[in-house]
Amino acid sequence: MLLIRNKNLRNTVRFTVPFVIIPALTILGALVFDGKKHIIISLAVALLALLLFAAGFEKKSTGTRRMVIVAVMTALCFAGRFIPFLKPVAALTIITALYLGGEAGFLVGALSAVLSNFYFGQGPWTAFQMLAWGLIGLFAGMLSKPLLKSRVLLLVYGAAAGLGYSFFMDIWTVLWYNEGFSVKLYAAALVSAIPYTVSYAVSNVLFLFLLAKPFGEKLSRIKTKYGV
Amino acid sequence: MRSFSEYNPIAVTLWFFSVTGIAMFCNYPLLMAMSLAGAVAFFLMGNGLSHGREHIFFWILFAVLALANPLISHNGKTVLFVMNHNPVTLEAALYGVNSAAMMVGVLYWLRSFTQIMTSEKLLYITGALSPKLSLVLSMAMRFVPMFGRQSARVSDAQKAMGLFSDDNIIDDIKGKSRVFSVMVTWALENGIITADSMEARGFGTHRRTQLRRFRFRAADTAFLIASLVLFGITAAAVGTDSLSFSFYPSISFEAPDALGTAGLIAYGLLILLPFAAETAVNLRWKYLRSAV
Repeated sequence: MLLIRNKNLRNTVRFTVPFVIIPALTILGALVFDGKKHIIISLAVALLALLLFAAGFEKKSTGTRRMVIVAVMTALCFAGRFIPFLKPVAALTIITALYLGGEAGFLVGALSAVLSNFYFGQGPWTAFQMLAWGLIGLFAGMLSKPLLKSRVLLLVYGAAAGLGYSFFMDIWTVLWYNEGFSVKLYAAALVSAIPYTVSYAVSNVLFLFLLAKPFGEKLSRIKTKYGV
Repeated sequence: MRSFSEYNPIAVTLWFFSVTGIAMFCNYPLLMAMSLAGAVAFFLMGNGLSHGREHIFFWILFAVLALANPLISHNGKTVLFVMNHNPVTLEAALYGVNSAAMMVGVLYWLRSFTQIMTSEKLLYITGALSPKLSLVLSMAMRFVPMFGRQSARVSDAQKAMGLFSDDNIIDDIKGKSRVFSVMVTWALENGIITADSMEARGFGTHRRTQLRRFRFRAADTAFLIASLVLFGITAAAVGTDSLSFSFYPSISFEAPDALGTAGLIAYGLLILLPFAAETAVNLRWKYLRSAV
């Protein structure tokens, strides 16, 4: 029903939704509504992720296969969140993005957040998690050529994504606590979140180091075998 | 005439979102009390007097949440007593009770929602929005327990072949990662095969069909419109700060104006809608039976 057949429109949606509309909505929503109304933004972001999904997966014979792979990777991320301390979600999102493209990465990140939060607690932070993980995947997809070539660069990207995720989520912490942004509080939040930041960066580097090669082999094998 | 849980899932979901949404975004004590009372009554209507353990859990949670705030937050003017050199204030205590009522109320609502919304209905709703999204979500949900079962099988097979033992840590880690690797390959291939057989059976050629038919009847439409209108009035009252209540530094509120009163009444009616539907059904049954 939501499939977009017009190619130009699809490309516009593909570009503007992740780069313009979702960030604008998140920031606007955080500024305009008071601290407790983020769930509205969460819904809006979820709907836009859905739109991106519809734009990216046009109706062609390989569509179903790609979709199923996205579902498999989402399920793996979901299962991975049960590991204590180390969270492989971002690493798996990056790997998916490298081999299947940015939109697939965005979807895996965003859908993992929604789906796993049915267990870990759904809330206004879901929107920010969706956006953060989704963007990590999207950027990885855009940088896939250099990242695939150099392993060091990939690990650096993983560490940066971990730091970026934590910094991004702290913006939300401050907005939630204070109903407005304050640099002082943000700095305090960053300092108090150092253990988490380190754990995100370390788990990204660790999982990328361990999983990038075997997962890459598996995904490219599937790609050549079935022509996804 | 159907009972409330048999109404069209779209109408039921919208009603639930309206009720819990208002409860989550607002901290007006009277609204919170209505939400909590309605949520408990709704849960009792659906389950009778069973589920005692859940009730106990919710009310222990209520007590913990209500007591936590005055012990942590020391805002507020009216000091009740001093504990460990920290003042415990009346305002913080009342704020705690209010937040606890909000959270426990929402938890009760969500509990009833999970009971009414079976996965079949949930897929009906997402399927109406986007069939592909519905598919990905339902597949991912199914994959998680399936991975668990399959990995237990793979690990059993590996153990039977003598490939790794549990008592040697390095061996264990190596074996576990091999199982994981096998699992990923299997999951991807299995997914592709699933996708192919879905396509072979005509997935994507038509709209998704349902095992059960959910039609939109006149009662559904009436229920939907009623809940949207009532939600609109309440949201307007909450959004324009007609219902404002502040706890700190001291409790202060104004008597609700016309819009605020309308909002309170509308929220009450919104909560009562399913009770009305349910009562109508019960009465109908009673009279039909007595006629026979």
